[in-house]
Amino acid sequence: MTRPLAKPRISLFHAALLAPGVLIVLVLFVAPIALMALESFRPFVTGKVGSGSGWTLRNYAELMEPAYAFYFWETFRIGFIVSATALLLGAPLAFLAARTRRHRLRVAIFGLLIGLLFMSLIARLYAIQMTWGSNGPLAFFGTLIGVPARSAPYAAIQVALGLLHFVLPMVALMLVGTFQNINPRLEEAAASLGAPRWRVALTVTLPLAVPGLLSATMIALAMCISSFVVPLILGRGIVLFATNLMYVRFSDVANYPSGAAIGIIMLGLAALIVYAMMRLTRALAGAGAPS
Amino acid sequence: MRALTRRDLLKVSAASGLAPALGLGSAVPAQAGEQLLVVMWGAAWIDVSRKIVDAYVAKTGDKVAWELHAGGAMAIVAKIKPAWPRVGYNLVSGWDPVFRAMIKEDWVVPVTLDEMPALRDIPPVFFQKDDKGQLMTVPLSTSGAFWGYRTDLVDKPIESIEQLLEPRFKGKLCVPFPVNLTGLLMLTLAMQRGGNEHNIEPGWQFLKELAARGQIGRVINNNSEFIDAMSAGETSVAFFNIGAWTQVRKQFPVKILNKLKDNKGFLFNEGFAVIKQDDPNKVAAAKRLANHFATPEINSQYNWPLGEGPTNPKSKANPDIADVFYAPDELPQYAYIADFDYMSTQVDAWAKRWEQEIAPLIRRS
Repeated sequence: MTRPLAKPRISLFHAALLAPGVLIVLVLFVAPIALMALESFRPFVTGKVGSGSGWTLRNYAELMEPAYAFYFWETFRIGFIVSATALLLGAPLAFLAARTRRHRLRVAIFGLLIGLLFMSLIARLYAIQMTWGSNGPLAFFGTLIGVPARSAPYAAIQVALGLLHFVLPMVALMLVGTFQNINPRLEEAAASLGAPRWRVALTVTLPLAVPGLLSATMIALAMCISSFVVPLILGRGIVLFATNLMYVRFSDVANYPSGAAIGIIMLGLAALIVYAMMRLTRALAGAGAPS
Repeated sequence: MRALTRRDLLKVSAASGLAPALGLGSAVPAQAGEQLLVVMWGAAWIDVSRKIVDAYVAKTGDKVAWELHAGGAMAIVAKIKPAWPRVGYNLVSGWDPVFRAMIKEDWVVPVTLDEMPALRDIPPVFFQKDDKGQLMTVPLSTSGAFWGYRTDLVDKPIESIEQLLEPRFKGKLCVPFPVNLTGLLMLTLAMQRGGNEHNIEPGWQFLKELAARGQIGRVINNNSEFIDAMSAGETSVAFFNIGAWTQVRKQFPVKILNKLKDNKGFLFNEGFAVIKQDDPNKVAAAKRLANHFATPEINSQYNWPLGEGPTNPKSKANPDIADVFYAPDELPQYAYIADFDYMSTQVDAWAKRWEQEIAPLIRRS
């Protein structure tokens, strides 16, 4: 019979060690968000900068207009598509980097991914605009797939492309660690028992990589939905993310309470999605664990 | 043996000319003068300002650091608010509605003709004033906002903005987000259909028609985005300020629609506001620099490449902009001075209405 593990107790010494870190987290992360949450319940006085006195739910009520659901949907929809695409493209690249015995190939993959990270995102976005923009040499591609280069859906495609540039290197680099941590002998054992390579990948490697894949997706999604500069440059003012709405509220009309309300709603939605994905990760990890 | 002190090191390095190289101090006595932080627009505005200030710095010993407006000039108001009164800005470039907002917040120092003699030449009507009638701004440019188009990209001339509903302009229009230019886009559209600042509804109806037909190809927030969109030929017709139009006109044939039979152009002033600071020397230095920009020669030099009208009547205007601005007898027929005080109270509502009614139409068209 095994004794149940006792709950770890935090001693005074441990609490003292934790205190500086907790304090930093409180001051740097929790306090600004708490202040923003309070601001979101303040009234906005027309023609003034910032918020007035008193409390109101009006800033949230305004965002219940159906039109705003579209912006949140657009933000998350493009975010999900880009995260999934980054996973599809990044996973094979990461697997190759983790498993290849060819040193030069590994260096080339790492060089490409790290090089992309170091290259200014702004430069990459303008390069996309010059190449794929409505006057760019590859704009005809839009027409080929039935999306005219000056149309709004084409702007959405460009935003997705920009976000992919942003998140793909991160996703691939994160997944290299995931694949490196999977013992290659498990794959070799499956292969030695006669399983073809595709089956090894689907039944051995993939289930073991699920937690890493979901973590990478979650981080990619967080990067996408919080991106401001990508829709700003490539969205042509037509594809707007929730971040762009927030910027207009805070910066252009100085309506801080309304901007704060959008921020809090985004935070709530993101927390819900993270929670759902963590539950999914646990469920899949449990299902994939060897019995 | 005495240890080498920092002072010894400075002495030795200054004598050898090493100190500046090490960043430890200057080999020559520091120039007297104040360090100023000036907020300016990007593109041609910062280029010409830097040239003017480089000569000024060498002459006066004052030093100037620049910060660029991010987005529309109104964004600076939102940037100052949370930091006030601990803001480092000494001079902020802006235009009438931005100055009104800053004056309301009591961030601006009044200017006087005694302290700033160059202002004596500038017509009083160009200044923004506070409730006591004090001069609160340093007007440097007379600017305007107009419709216009690239003649190399548009097949037939445009004589009325009603024509913008024609299929040939699908995806070709570049318009500012309604908070930009404090909603002058809404006003020009409203005026086209018989409205005005206080009766803006006809403008919304016109805008909905444009959006639903897919005419709007780009929505911009600042000069750089406008210059980018129009220079790339991504869009061919636009409504924006004359300074940005001038930059496009340098490279491409452009027709400014400032004398439309059924609409009007908008005029306003740009310039500096001197920001309140605890240190009176900084305020005095900021006023010195603003006064320098308002002197006849420098006012010409500043406005010439911008394509804007100098506010100092003794300055020379760029002849290339002669066709853009109005002769005095043309003003009643073609020019309009908007009620920016009223419009600035509406931009929040207009921005939300744009998000709720117009942006979804553009997105789906």
